[in-house]
Amino acid sequence: MDTLNILLMGFISIVLINNLVFTKFLGICPYLGVSGRIDMAFGMGMAVTFVVTLSGTLTWLIDHLILMPMNLEVTRYICFILVIAGSVQLVEMYVRKFFPTLYESFGIFLPLITTNCAILGLCLFINLWGIDNLLEAVVLSFGAGIGFTMAICIMAGIRENLNLADVPECLKGAPITLITAGLLTLAFMGFAGMIR
Amino acid sequence: MDYLELWNSAWPAGVTMLGLGSGFAVVLLIASVKLKVEVDPKIEQIHKALPNLDCGTCGFAGCGQYAKAVLGKPELLGRCAPGGQESTKAIAKILSLQISDSGPAERPIVHCRAHAADKNVYGKYHGIPTCTAANALANVQACKFGCLVFGDCTWACRFDALHIVDGLATVDYEKCTGCGACSKACPRNLIEMVPFRCENMMTVACSSKESGKSTRGMCKVGCIGCGVCAKQTEIFAVEDNLARLAYEKYEPTEQTETAFNKCPTKVIIYCGKTTPEPGAGGQKAKTS
Repeated sequence: MDTLNILLMGFISIVLINNLVFTKFLGICPYLGVSGRIDMAFGMGMAVTFVVTLSGTLTWLIDHLILMPMNLEVTRYICFILVIAGSVQLVEMYVRKFFPTLYESFGIFLPLITTNCAILGLCLFINLWGIDNLLEAVVLSFGAGIGFTMAICIMAGIRENLNLADVPECLKGAPITLITAGLLTLAFMGFAGMIR
Repeated sequence: MDYLELWNSAWPAGVTMLGLGSGFAVVLLIASVKLKVEVDPKIEQIHKALPNLDCGTCGFAGCGQYAKAVLGKPELLGRCAPGGQESTKAIAKILSLQISDSGPAERPIVHCRAHAADKNVYGKYHGIPTCTAANALANVQACKFGCLVFGDCTWACRFDALHIVDGLATVDYEKCTGCGACSKACPRNLIEMVPFRCENMMTVACSSKESGKSTRGMCKVGCIGCGVCAKQTEIFAVEDNLARLAYEKYEPTEQTETAFNKCPTKVIIYCGKTTPEPGAGGQKAKTS
């Protein structure tokens, strides 16, 4: 019961309260770049969720089984990037072979995830927060992906409606998008302090 | 720090990185062999023959999708409007098919030539700024058939080839690829895809089916259905107070030139890449 409680708390916390996009400003590039249409945003979110879960788990394992016993924590960044790039490649090949339609709909997003800083950020945060339980690391990674999907989908929904809004000439395009992102972040700041 | 000491603390890191790297390399190598996807080289060839604009006119998500589809179903050949005859021929060659000539490429023609100063409006519209929304209302402007100027067609255009110029949607034929998106976007069906049989097509740039008198009251440059053009050559025909040119029969002759010159409202115009600029009109030339 206690474990379940911790897992649930961790999940809600990473999705709503410590959302990587809203509170840490990670993964802003796809967040602003691919949020033009809601179906594309959802595809990107799903791809990120998949990769972040896989790489979060793998990096926890590598960190705890190889790097920490050998006192090689300094090489974390390089190792983690290696893991992320490798798992993205693997996922791409797997999806291409067994889910061609999914592969087509992901398109360019899948390789682009390699450079998504939300994923490296999450891997490093898991280490920073001192998560010493594999299951918790998996749940946190998955939650981070879900949080990213939620953020990018909300943004895409707003931006679809923004097309019809009467925006002042000087704010059209990128400025209004950034203002929207800021307001959205402010709204999600309201969740801070919900779990003590 | 002693070099030996430095080396002693550095080599485990190097070895670990090498080990991890080669581990991943082996896994990826095995995966790439096991999960190899055979791709027909013809798809690549067809993709190269296409213009690679991903406009979606063919009904597929992009050129890559169309290339794949056309390989499986040759009857889909000829759907590519931007590539036109050239692409179709190239694909047919790759698929070793025989095709017949399907005629000249289609380009859009806007059937309205009323600039801001030419048309009457009753009031100012403050609703949702799209043509589709404005078209649902009566009396957004006097003419029930003319261009609404909110630019649904300019949004539909992916090639920056349509602009609102002085209160009228105007096609930039240099940039136009003939994908037909604008023609679908216009709620008043003003934009028609026409086979351009020569460099400059002649057209009757009006859609008003009102009687001559009421058209004249609403717009300075509308077609009043007088039939002067139809008297010159039989490729013009007046129906519902609107002259129409049979595009498939059009050829620049003396008769069409006479019709062009005799049109009392100068609604017969040329459109194309190099629009001649006679005093009489043309979509870009303003009338005083």
